[in-house]
Amino acid sequence: MRKIIRWVLISPLLVLTALNTAFTQDSENMPDSQDIPSSLMTFFVTSEPIGDGGNLGGLEGADGHCQALAAAVGAGDKTWRAYLSTQARPGQPAVNARDRIGSGPWFHSRARLIDYLGRQLNRPIIQSQIHGDTLVEAQRGSNMTKEFSLTEHGELVNGIGDPLPNRHDILTGSQTDGRAFTDSEDRTCNNWTSNDEGSAQVGHSDRVGNGNMSWNSSHATTGCSQNDLVSWGGVGLFYCFAVD
Amino acid sequence: MSCGVNGLRRPITSGHDGRDDQLEVHVKKFSILAAILALSGLQSSVAIAQHGMPGGTPMTFFVTSEPIGDGGNLGGLAGADAHCQNLAGIVGAGDRIWHAYLSTQARSDQPAVNARDRIGTGPWYNFDGVMIARDVAHLHGDTLELARLGNNLTKQSGLTEKGQIVPGLNDYKHPRDGDWEYVRTTPYSNRHEVLTGSQTDGRAFSEEFDYTCDNWTSNGDPDPGQPPTGLAAGPGRPNAQIGFPDRNGGGDGSWNSSHGTRGCSQTSLVRTHGVGKLYCFATN
Repeated sequence: MRKIIRWVLISPLLVLTALNTAFTQDSENMPDSQDIPSSLMTFFVTSEPIGDGGNLGGLEGADGHCQALAAAVGAGDKTWRAYLSTQARPGQPAVNARDRIGSGPWFHSRARLIDYLGRQLNRPIIQSQIHGDTLVEAQRGSNMTKEFSLTEHGELVNGIGDPLPNRHDILTGSQTDGRAFTDSEDRTCNNWTSNDEGSAQVGHSDRVGNGNMSWNSSHATTGCSQNDLVSWGGVGLFYCFAVD
Repeated sequence: MSCGVNGLRRPITSGHDGRDDQLEVHVKKFSILAAILALSGLQSSVAIAQHGMPGGTPMTFFVTSEPIGDGGNLGGLAGADAHCQNLAGIVGAGDRIWHAYLSTQARSDQPAVNARDRIGTGPWYNFDGVMIARDVAHLHGDTLELARLGNNLTKQSGLTEKGQIVPGLNDYKHPRDGDWEYVRTTPYSNRHEVLTGSQTDGRAFSEEFDYTCDNWTSNGDPDPGQPPTGLAAGPGRPNAQIGFPDRNGGGDGSWNSSHGTRGCSQTSLVRTHGVGKLYCFATN
């Protein structure tokens, strides 16, 4: 009997606690301005690849992929460009990724996220800083971190140490300064049309791997098929920048 | 076998890319084992026993697991070097000569000392035998291409002498993680600001302003009445230049020269997420 009384006394407390927990969880799930990718977004990593290895349908196809992904999260009113270089061909000059993306500065999808002390973190990335145009800028680095390089949905891209598969290899076809390679070796999967032979220069969105921290020019893949890309630690994602 | 870790999720990176995915799966399984060992209190002995990893390269670089604890007063370069030597000795690496990566500024009676000139020639390897940098030029990015590529000091490789990851910008965020009383009892809170007193090239600052807590002898703070200068050095302002082993913070992620501090007291270092950790390099 005493036990029953004790339970009668305790159970409303338990119910209250449970309700309270449920309420808290609900309000945490409520979308607020911090949970919606910002309309200020001018930079993202594609959440999904095109899926045909290094064949992106050329620069046009890649740009179209950026534009479509942006539009799907309500950011289609901007003009989006894939950060990709193409190499010179007879009658066709090289294209440098850095010259395709406007002047910035660029914000990721959580640009307005305020931290718990009310500070606005996640400073933008700056054209001269991400390419290290001066020695001090190159030595110091930029805000292009794993936490900055979010997808258009505001999600992290899996890198070294995260659950597999690793998706940190990002197609660029570029040198560290953001320009096309000038030698005869293929670094662009035949200017982003090959899903078979060739090679693509990639950077690491998590800034880890291959003994360097390069976001845009860490190493080259061997082969351009989707499987080749996967074997190197990527799926064929690329960086998208808004030019306006 | 994974090296032990004090609870922090601890991905093992081999430093190269992609093709060891299966290895990583195994490593992860072992990490879980290591976590269980850690919980059962066996972890510290595991970590020490495995330092250097069987068949691996001996450790010649670490971030101090503990600060000296008196803010920017390290007892000068000699005191800081002794701290490195002592911590190395505790984990069985005391047979090398260890120096703290710190610069001191020129005084009327003594020339400046550059951190880059104090650390030997490399290459340097962390607790796991992962190479941090091949040489001084690689570590600092002496040429544009080297600087753009970066060295191999990352959050995963910037380990302490016990093989621990240094908690960084987004770890265990808490409103009190800038409060020393909280941070000293919460080992997983952000403490990623490492004292260097150096410019990005690893050399001492030539300006008269303080970047080295008075050559690592001061635990003083700016006068309360002084106009705030943010985290920049200024006249009469005790200050230390810091960098981030997790390469995340200050808008640049510089490992050795991102910004200054609120002052040189222990509590001031903590306000911007540092505790007074040092980089230690074996010079031989």
